[in-house]
Amino acid sequence: MIGTLLLLMFVALMLMGVPISVALGAGGMLAIALNNLDAPWWGLLAAAQNMHASIAKYPLLALPMFVLVGSIFDRSGVAQRMVTFAQACTGRSPGMLPMVAILVAMVMGGISGSGPATAAAVGGVMIVAMSRAGYPAGFSASVVGASAATDILIPPSIAFIVYSVNVPGASVPALFAAGMVPGILAGIALIVPAVWLSRRHGFGELERGLPRPPFWSSLGAASWGLAAPLLILGGMRLGWFTPTEAAVVAVAYGLFIGMAIHRSIAWRDLYGIFREASEISAVIMLVLSLAGIFAYAVNTLGIADPLVAFVQSLGLGSTGTLVLLFVVMTLLGMVLDGVSIFLVFLPLLYPLMKVFNWDPVWFGVLLTMKIAIGQFTPPLAVNLMVSCRLAGVRMEATLPYVGWLILSFVAAAAAVLFFPELALWLPRRLGY
Amino acid sequence: MRFPKKPEEWLSVACMVVLVFITLGNVLTRYFSDQSFAWTEEISVFLMVVMALAGAAGAAARDGHIRIEYFYDRGSAQRQRSLRITSAVITTLVFLLLALLFARTLMDEIKWAETSVGLGVPRWWFTVWVAPLCLAVAWRAAAMGWKGRHSTPVDEITAP
Repeated sequence: MIGTLLLLMFVALMLMGVPISVALGAGGMLAIALNNLDAPWWGLLAAAQNMHASIAKYPLLALPMFVLVGSIFDRSGVAQRMVTFAQACTGRSPGMLPMVAILVAMVMGGISGSGPATAAAVGGVMIVAMSRAGYPAGFSASVVGASAATDILIPPSIAFIVYSVNVPGASVPALFAAGMVPGILAGIALIVPAVWLSRRHGFGELERGLPRPPFWSSLGAASWGLAAPLLILGGMRLGWFTPTEAAVVAVAYGLFIGMAIHRSIAWRDLYGIFREASEISAVIMLVLSLAGIFAYAVNTLGIADPLVAFVQSLGLGSTGTLVLLFVVMTLLGMVLDGVSIFLVFLPLLYPLMKVFNWDPVWFGVLLTMKIAIGQFTPPLAVNLMVSCRLAGVRMEATLPYVGWLILSFVAAAAAVLFFPELALWLPRRLGY
Repeated sequence: MRFPKKPEEWLSVACMVVLVFITLGNVLTRYFSDQSFAWTEEISVFLMVVMALAGAAGAAARDGHIRIEYFYDRGSAQRQRSLRITSAVITTLVFLLLALLFARTLMDEIKWAETSVGLGVPRWWFTVWVAPLCLAVAWRAAAMGWKGRHSTPVDEITAP
């Protein structure tokens, strides 16, 4: 009874546009109070404790640090140089610019950790270039929005950090390693339809006439940026630093590139960069902290048990249940950003994971892939909103193209679902 | 990007800067001396909590918290206005309640003279900051709602 009330209130508040963090806190505290009417303070002191405990965790420090890395690299001018270098590699023919956009988004994903930030960084450079080469704006927006979705898979990923602090048995390095192969797979899954669509519709014919940038000098210019993912991922792999420390080293490195090498960041920009990063982190961490109250309410009220029992009674088996989750999560991903989905649903999904004995690392990768799909599925796709704003088109303009990209990404996710080794091989190989 | 002179914004930026330096210091010290100062962990965690709440107040002032915007940004001006006010009222109430709860927790910690696990200092040194920061979030949300009670809402910068 109280459980139903909690969920109903939460959903109603969310639909009304109350901040998700507040909806989680309000629903959770109401349920706790109703459940403990005769306890002192209606048992709400535990709510405050849980709120504090949910963010007062040292490993979580990686989150604000990687957000800061993203804010710095967005402005460090590396995206532009990587685009030039990628063009020098691929040459200029129809379909090559979309491929460049996807490749650069993937490399940027190896530096920063959030999709919409990458959509902004890559879109800022690519959308103008693509429209000059004759690609329709709706197509460019689709490609950029979709490619930025690989970001939460390719390490470092903020979604993985959040998942790790909430799920025992899934360490950040293991998740980072597990996201690598599926992330690359997803990138390839986007390149294929993007190139095919350009060829079929004859987009980018103008591209043929454009000059190809010289290889060596563009490699030189891009090398500072290209070294960043090597530093972050390699440094972690070699045990030089923890994920948090890797992020801080990347902060120092990014500031060095932006201020001393490419000179795209001035001293007076620093306040703005830090302000943006601290606010983005704060917004995520507030959801995280109040989700702690929600999770506490869900656990003490035992809401998850009947839901788990219900899902089990459907008799879909392990794979069937995953497919069902797949559909539900993709729908949710259309409305909500990935981190919020993790936080709202983990208290419900975790028992399910136990029942079916799913590997927590593999399940984390799979969930992230589902959410990534939602991030570029109209009508409420966060990444697509950013790229459409940059391209100056309405989201309807992406409809003829984005469906193919979604379909192909779904195929990549299905591959990871049916072949768990795609995710689990690398972390095991690396000994995490 | 302007530089609005808002105290909570400065506070959260300052926390972020100090966090970067502490962590960077950790890497360097370990590299040069094979020692790490584990005692910084508690301070980092504390700074991170302050940063989160101060930043949350800044985001509340900008109406920038993550939400489902589908209904919030659609429909008649009248409906949008009432949704904005409802959202602000609920946010304010939730954070007032949290401030109260943290004030109560603080009193308990002082009464029982609880000490922190890592540094062994009184716990209330850390807790004492939480309730005022919750009040700051409540205050910013309320001011946002008050400002929006007449005007037609405009598109605001939204969170990631």
